[in-house]
Amino acid sequence: MNKIWIVAVKEWTDGFRDRRSLYTLLISALFGPLMIGFMFSQIASQQKGAQEIKIPVVGRQHAPVLINWLTQQSGVEVVDGPADPEAAVRDRKSDFVLVIEKEFAEKFRDSRPAPVQVVSDVTSQSTRSKVSRLNSLLNGFSSEMGGMRLMARGVSPVIVSALKVEQIDIATSQQRAAMIFNFIPMFLVISLFTAGMPIASDSTAGERERGSLEPLLLNPIPRWQLVTGKWMAAMGAALLGMLLTLAVTLVMLSRLALEELGIRNHVGTGQLILLLAATAPMALLAPAVQMFVSCFAKSFKEAQSYLGLLMIAPTIPGIAAVFYPLTNRPWLHPIPVLGQYAMVTEILGGKAPEPLMLVAATLTAAILTAVLLSLATRLFTSEKIIFGR
Amino acid sequence: MIHAKNLNKQFGDFVAVDNVSFSAPDGAVTGLLGPNGAGKTTSLRMIYGLMKPGGGSVEIDGIDMVAKPLDAQKRIGVLPDLSGLYPRLTAREHIIYYGQLQGIEKAELNRRIAHWIEILDLSGIIDRRVAGFSHGERTKVALARAIVHDPQNILLDEPTNGLDVMSTRAVRELIRHLRAEGRCVVFSSHVMQEVSALCDRIVVMGRGKVVAEGTPEELLALTGMTSLEDAFVSLVGPHGEAA
Repeated sequence: MNKIWIVAVKEWTDGFRDRRSLYTLLISALFGPLMIGFMFSQIASQQKGAQEIKIPVVGRQHAPVLINWLTQQSGVEVVDGPADPEAAVRDRKSDFVLVIEKEFAEKFRDSRPAPVQVVSDVTSQSTRSKVSRLNSLLNGFSSEMGGMRLMARGVSPVIVSALKVEQIDIATSQQRAAMIFNFIPMFLVISLFTAGMPIASDSTAGERERGSLEPLLLNPIPRWQLVTGKWMAAMGAALLGMLLTLAVTLVMLSRLALEELGIRNHVGTGQLILLLAATAPMALLAPAVQMFVSCFAKSFKEAQSYLGLLMIAPTIPGIAAVFYPLTNRPWLHPIPVLGQYAMVTEILGGKAPEPLMLVAATLTAAILTAVLLSLATRLFTSEKIIFGR
Repeated sequence: MIHAKNLNKQFGDFVAVDNVSFSAPDGAVTGLLGPNGAGKTTSLRMIYGLMKPGGGSVEIDGIDMVAKPLDAQKRIGVLPDLSGLYPRLTAREHIIYYGQLQGIEKAELNRRIAHWIEILDLSGIIDRRVAGFSHGERTKVALARAIVHDPQNILLDEPTNGLDVMSTRAVRELIRHLRAEGRCVVFSSHVMQEVSALCDRIVVMGRGKVVAEGTPEELLALTGMTSLEDAFVSLVGPHGEAA
């Protein structure tokens, strides 16, 4: 045990004197959370933009009542529309234009449906929320006027509502915001991989490249202890990277006004512990995989290119999980990577995974780690690995 | 005391070491002399236990290397063919790392480091990172860490290869110092002058075989030559083929 510790301390000291590994640690810790923050603020500003709406109107002189009503609504400003509305929308000069036709005044006076046109480009993502806000404003005006007309004729406006529809608002922006939440587990797992990578590859392939493996193996220390010590150092770095990422993510989430986006931030101390418990198994496994792979490389650079490819492995299911959420599938939990994604998403959503599943996830990761480390130990005894250059 | 008996090693069809036997006594320097590719490094690798012999046995002070590698390795200090250092660690940290792995206590370790600083003249570089060291400085650090545990038997694979005059002198002095302490020193070289300047006994290798073994005088007598170089050439052949 003592010698394992000696090896771990040496690799840790050596690793942290390497500027490269420090930079990758910092970049990996900051990149994910900052990207999530950026995406959230984008959505927030889009939504804010939808609330505050500037309506270009053509033919406002035909419908003073409607214009009056619109300007009284909160966050609405009416401006003069362009001469050619369709061309203006096509050329993206205006997001949309409200056109009030000539016969509006006459038909409105006669209590007949008064025509208005909403000119917009349905294919344009960014204007969609503004257009739907305009439509709901127009619908609001329509039903308010209709109700008043019925009351003027002594009929209760209630009888025209056959349904009482309660809107449970799942606006598109909220969906997208929730989707971004699903990126968090992926960034946590990726930070484990990137932070552990320099030590995992330098202590194996780097040792071969420098020719320092042969003299090292001449010391009276069993190979498995040597491998375990190196793995411990890589795991320490991976955990540090993951904790940093988690800390930055949580600080960022607490700063963002998630409630405005219709998302409840569930993360408290209890969730924090759960998050750590859910991701920790990967901190065991990721450095073990990286060390095993690096053993086959003859140089640090060669190892880095293998490990770069290896990073794709957790990324693909991570991106897939954003679009096909893995929640409510407890059987996924013990599977490395997928289990972490599922559990982290659930915890961030305010649901605790079963303690049994946490144990199962840790167990599968620990068993795989042990298998990989014993394979790496075998490689450290192979003459091809020790002497092959 | 090192005994190598009937060592064999084959890589595919190529026989790298063919029935090599020799002994290296305590208090003497034994030189493994041979041209490049004669099997010196492979023989040494089997003797220090990182390569498994295809056949034969190695005993270090009576301990079988194949059966008890960790016990046997405690009794040897090795400077392998490749003795890479860690560029981001200081010279002292290298020696401490190996000293700790050898299980040496802190106070004792510090005493020994002070000893090697003096013998190898490391005082100017001991607390510098090795990244910018010259080849000679690197070799000294590698030597100090290889023998920090005070082993009875010392194996050096081409220790003076590529060194300048001053560093070569320092290594030679170290080897004489170790012999004077009664240790068993084995070193390999393809340089005649190196071997004749230091060795009490010479094992001449060629094409994976031991061609001749003995004191320099015995080798001269055996070949009927007047210089060791001529003796060497007549033993391994002009193209390095064993006669």
